[in-house]
Amino acid sequence: MVEIMISIPVIFVTIFVGAILTYLIKLIMPKVEAYFALLVSAATSYMAFALPKTESIYKFNLGSFNLMWGNNEYSHLFAMLVAVLGFFVVLYSMDFMAGKVNLGFYYFNLLVSIGSMLGIVYSQDFLSLFIFWEIMTWSSFMLVIYAQDEKFSVGIKYFVFSAIGAYLLLTALVILYTNSGSFLLEDNINNFIYLSSQNQILVIIFLIIGFGVKAAMMPFHVWAPDAYKAAPSSFTALFSGALSKMGIFGIGLVLFKFAIQNTDYFTYFQFALAWLGGITALLSTFYAVFQTDAKKLLAYSSIGQLGYIIVGLAVGTPLSIMSALLLTILHGAFKAMLFMSAGAVYYRTGLLDMNETRGLIRKMPLTFLTALMGIITVAGVPPLGGFVSKWMLYEALIQSNYYFLVIIIFVASTAAFLYLYRFIFSLFLGQEEKEFENVKEVPIKMIIPMLLLAGFTLAVGVVPGFVLEQISKAMGYLGIQTPNWENSVLFSNWENSSVNLMSVATSIGILFVLGAIFLTIKNYRSTRYVTTKDIHTSGEVPTENENLTFAVNFYQPFERSLGSVIKPSIDRIFNLIGKNIESAADYLRYIYTGNGQTYAMYVILFFVVLILFADLMFGFKF
Amino acid sequence: MDSFWMKILGFVITPLVAFAVGVTYGGIVRKITARIQNRVGPPIYQNLLDITKLYSKKTAVNHGVMQHLGPVFAITASVTSLFFVPVLRDSSFWFNLSFDGDLIFLLYMMVFGSLGMALGAGQTGNPNSAIGVSRGLALMVGYEIPFVLSLVALMIQFQTTSIHGLLAVQDTFSSWIIFQSPFATIAGILAFLGMMHYAPFDVPFAPAEVASGPASEFGGKYLALMMTSGSIFTFVKLVLFVNIYFGGAEDLLTLILKTFILYMIPVLTGIVNPRYRTEQAIQFFWKWPTVFGIIAILIVVL
Amino acid sequence: MEFSPVHYIAVPLFAAFLIPLVGKVSKELVKLIPGLVLLYLSYGSIMLFPKGMENPIIEIIAGFKPPFGIALYYGATAAFLVTLVTLLGFVIWLYSYKFIIREPIEKYYMLFMLLITGATGIMLTGDIFNLFVFLEITAIASYSLTAFLRDKDSAEAAFKYLLIGSFSSAFFLLTVMILYTYTGTLNLADLASKADMIPANAKGFALLLVIVGMGIEAEIFPLNGWAPDAYSQAPSPIGAVFAGIVVKAAVYAFIRIIFLFFKTPEVLHFIVIIGLITLIIAEMAALRQHQIKRMLAFSSLGQMGLVILALGIGTTESTSAALFQMFNHAVIKAMLFFAAGYLVFHSGSKLIDSVTGLGYDKPITSFFFSLGALAIIGLPPFSGFWSKLNVLISIASEGEILIIVLILAASVVEAVYYLRIIGKLYTRKEIDSNPRRTPISGLLAMGILAIVIIVIGIYPDVLTQWLQPAAENLLNSEEYIQTGLF
Repeated sequence: MVEIMISIPVIFVTIFVGAILTYLIKLIMPKVEAYFALLVSAATSYMAFALPKTESIYKFNLGSFNLMWGNNEYSHLFAMLVAVLGFFVVLYSMDFMAGKVNLGFYYFNLLVSIGSMLGIVYSQDFLSLFIFWEIMTWSSFMLVIYAQDEKFSVGIKYFVFSAIGAYLLLTALVILYTNSGSFLLEDNINNFIYLSSQNQILVIIFLIIGFGVKAAMMPFHVWAPDAYKAAPSSFTALFSGALSKMGIFGIGLVLFKFAIQNTDYFTYFQFALAWLGGITALLSTFYAVFQTDAKKLLAYSSIGQLGYIIVGLAVGTPLSIMSALLLTILHGAFKAMLFMSAGAVYYRTGLLDMNETRGLIRKMPLTFLTALMGIITVAGVPPLGGFVSKWMLYEALIQSNYYFLVIIIFVASTAAFLYLYRFIFSLFLGQEEKEFENVKEVPIKMIIPMLLLAGFTLAVGVVPGFVLEQISKAMGYLGIQTPNWENSVLFSNWENSSVNLMSVATSIGILFVLGAIFLTIKNYRSTRYVTTKDIHTSGEVPTENENLTFAVNFYQPFERSLGSVIKPSIDRIFNLIGKNIESAADYLRYIYTGNGQTYAMYVILFFVVLILFADLMFGFKF
Repeated sequence: MDSFWMKILGFVITPLVAFAVGVTYGGIVRKITARIQNRVGPPIYQNLLDITKLYSKKTAVNHGVMQHLGPVFAITASVTSLFFVPVLRDSSFWFNLSFDGDLIFLLYMMVFGSLGMALGAGQTGNPNSAIGVSRGLALMVGYEIPFVLSLVALMIQFQTTSIHGLLAVQDTFSSWIIFQSPFATIAGILAFLGMMHYAPFDVPFAPAEVASGPASEFGGKYLALMMTSGSIFTFVKLVLFVNIYFGGAEDLLTLILKTFILYMIPVLTGIVNPRYRTEQAIQFFWKWPTVFGIIAILIVVL
Repeated sequence: MEFSPVHYIAVPLFAAFLIPLVGKVSKELVKLIPGLVLLYLSYGSIMLFPKGMENPIIEIIAGFKPPFGIALYYGATAAFLVTLVTLLGFVIWLYSYKFIIREPIEKYYMLFMLLITGATGIMLTGDIFNLFVFLEITAIASYSLTAFLRDKDSAEAAFKYLLIGSFSSAFFLLTVMILYTYTGTLNLADLASKADMIPANAKGFALLLVIVGMGIEAEIFPLNGWAPDAYSQAPSPIGAVFAGIVVKAAVYAFIRIIFLFFKTPEVLHFIVIIGLITLIIAEMAALRQHQIKRMLAFSSLGQMGLVILALGIGTTESTSAALFQMFNHAVIKAMLFFAAGYLVFHSGSKLIDSVTGLGYDKPITSFFFSLGALAIIGLPPFSGFWSKLNVLISIASEGEILIIVLILAASVVEAVYYLRIIGKLYTRKEIDSNPRRTPISGLLAMGILAIVIIVIGIYPDVLTQWLQPAAENLLNSEEYIQTGLF
């Protein structure tokens, strides 16, 4: 047995070389590549778990820059998320993607994006972070366009927004570099105070927007719904669950390692960012309510949840940061669950339009269970995990004087019930459709990740301690004191404000079991089990081909009462900007006319202008 | 050991009392409504009879597992919420688990039941049920805004998110919150109207439009459990509001008096009002109640 | 026989004269000769390169010592660029081998050899009049190659090029005259040492003439109108030569002269601004192009704008970043022109729309194009990223944040139009499978460049160690004068 030392370079070699090999294996031996990809991601995930948290540092030089990779508690938190979700997504893909074209391409990009995410979190310098960031961008871009047939604009939109974000990031990085003479995170953190105040603000804004674009922060979210929809569901689970979290990772770093040093303006940053997050949460929730496509609905939901996370980070009290980081992890789990169950429905029915899907609960009970637990977690209803993070966020917000923000967040999460119900109702409930008679539950390899993640949300809801412990350590790295928590009891700073999750879970558990037993055994034999078509509609029974499920315009009254608030005007603004740039580019045709005489004239004119303004430009006279 | 058994006893007694009070109130409401509409009306214990009858029915119609579990969700949520509300102010017998969770927790716990109901209703396949749910959820977004504004105002003012904390505040100042923070109370009570789903906010369950909405496919044991849960839930909401705005109660009699008076507000409003359409109802809540709520917060902040 | 810098000029020139003669005997041999010549030069470059990096090699022709004789100056910058030219030239030959199937082949290769002669000459010469001569050789070969396809469009493009190019020659010749009048010497090093003898107004006028005359060849805005036509009408490998070799030589000569004679803050400032304008306008113009090669041409103008901008900053970091960018642009743009050439060939149309779906029919060529596109946008882990990063850092250390933002804004535009093509390539569409395939030599050429792009992208130190001396050599006029005059 050869003992392989687990270190960061080994992880990268495993996953990136593994990705290339996967592609090659597909060329030689089709059908094996999925298993190989699974093996690669399993090995990577295992190593990410086993990686020592503090000692594993790897320094090297590249292109005359000092670079460093290393693990720390904060990185470890995100690495766990990536490792677990990455593995699950590959597992899920095995059946989900089976039989699709270009599988080598798919797995290659999937593995590369997993590897680049690990790269981002393990980077201890901005340069490798940026490099991995860009690798992540193009690999995810490839997966967004992977299933494109006609319209390519989705991919372009995604890439352009990513590029804008990345370039803002790059600008900030070079400003930092010229200040500290190094890309190392540590050097930059230490030297940040020597930057001029104006540049400090610029750097912070650029970094936050740069990272925020990936986290789909408003107003830079417009790429997300389309991109999430366009990518295969299996990848969307990772996209929304882990990839968008890289933005959160960055924002956390920027806020608590850099922005906090600028004491004059830090509160303004916090305030602006918190409100931005709040508005993101509210508006995207409203947009989500009116989607008819299941994946778009989930995409908007994802944007909204990331808004909560941003609020939590920006508010900056220990409790709020803890809630944000917890939600980061949880969102990874539950959004993956939801996208996977939407994908499962798509896998069996080929549909994602919520006006057409219906009544699948009996056909796909486990998928339904996953979706149910997913929506309960999103809604923040106890006893599942979402409640824990929501509760902490509210307590933190109320205690830190964001009075109106807390209202907005409350409204957003109430409105979230609307779309969540719509999602689960349209997919699984309602009258059964004859068309779906032969639909079966999805294969086991798709079920396993979904159920494991569902189990995780339950565990977090009852004994969040095991996650909170890692989060506390991560907060320690960010230099933030940890709020009080016990294995299953949450405390806020205020007296008497606590929740004992164990007694909640016990109460719910016992009552639920008692109630269920009662209802089941009572009149067990004389209960009539009927189809969903057997309903009382004033004596009329719907025929076999008639489906009465209420789906179209589900929330019409709500839409009416909201009026114009929910029109996605930001999209239109960006479209307008894009169009204007293009038409400005069109005007350049008047410069490049293609006429030789014109060009000759330019030469003369340019020379004349030079002569006329020589004094001004070069400082001499004739 | 003694206190342990007392606790257990509390867990058993509290739901029974809540159920009894809730059911009786339901009966009284029917009576009062009838009298105002110049009818004789059923006896006060009619609701109890109805529930008993439903429980003893030998048959039930089941459309699927979620319909089966919907009422379980509902009863779980109502009883758990009940456990987390201090029923009487100073009597630990009635506290149950109320120290283990605060107001924000309770808000979310109360939704649990509605969610289960909505899922159960969705499973039945009756379009009326889904329409009812859609209306109910939309309405919820409507009244949640003034309600939360009101609660946040109180939380900031008194620096607590716990119901015990709010009770203690009213105890120390020996003045109810309705007097200390009238605007918040008005916003809260207006939201309460929507929460109780009496006219003009009864659009989710409107019998004439959507055939009782979510409940329309439920019968027998399912309906019985739902009605039980509904009765307990009514009691929970009443006690909660009394605790928050009206100083709580020290003995059962005061509690019953206070809750009854509070209960009459939506009931009497309902009797004399026609039904709002959903969007009208939502917009109602987003106008004056919200303004009151914002005023309440501004008063606290400034 | 030991390799000396003279061979860079003499061997291809000789080959250029030889090719028409050989053409009478064997067409195959015509094809092979340039390859052998370039292989020899590449070999020589690699041998000579380390020496040149250490100390400039001065090669004297015809026995007279400088400043009277004609001298070649093989310094670090020249070594870097000449090596690039010969290696790239070889790859371009490899690509041309199967791509140029249209007669007259011997003329094509003859002109190609002349282009190489001219370009290396421009880079190596230590004499301003010789510089003019080599510029002319390059220009005339370029005009002819632009018109190589002999249809209406290419003739028109060649004529435009000729028209504007003659301005360039005239202006530059005037410069030479002015300088010679006042100093009585043509040797660059000697000229530079005697620059004080020139009266200020004459020097100023010469500066303007250089800016216009060399600016045309260096493709600065608004003097670059001829370039898109020439690039897109010439055969694809010649597009690669223009983008990879000719413009590099011109920019080098331009900057060398500016640095030697006119290195004042105002002039550098002007160069930065003109580079920036060139970059932005070119990228914007590329956004709305319908022809793939024309789009590449505009992109090339934009990239050169970036190079000129970085050179104008005038620090060691910025200059080495600019050289790095030159290298990357040469390699990547050559690859894009190669791939585009076959995409146009396979689709049968120059229009961008016509490549739709080719990604599935011609996967390897499309892959190379996509790789090149991602690399030139500056995505890691490809080489383009590093040079862009270095350029940005060098600008940032001068504190010019606004310029960085503008450059990156232009890069976003660049990303849009490149991705549009990638998107088109990989849009599923029923197309008739084309039985013609990209020949091995073409794929090999692209493959070599792809390996360079990826290797340097992953491990840039292969190259970056040479940039520093090259940049210092370009910046340090004192050293140039001293070593140039012995």
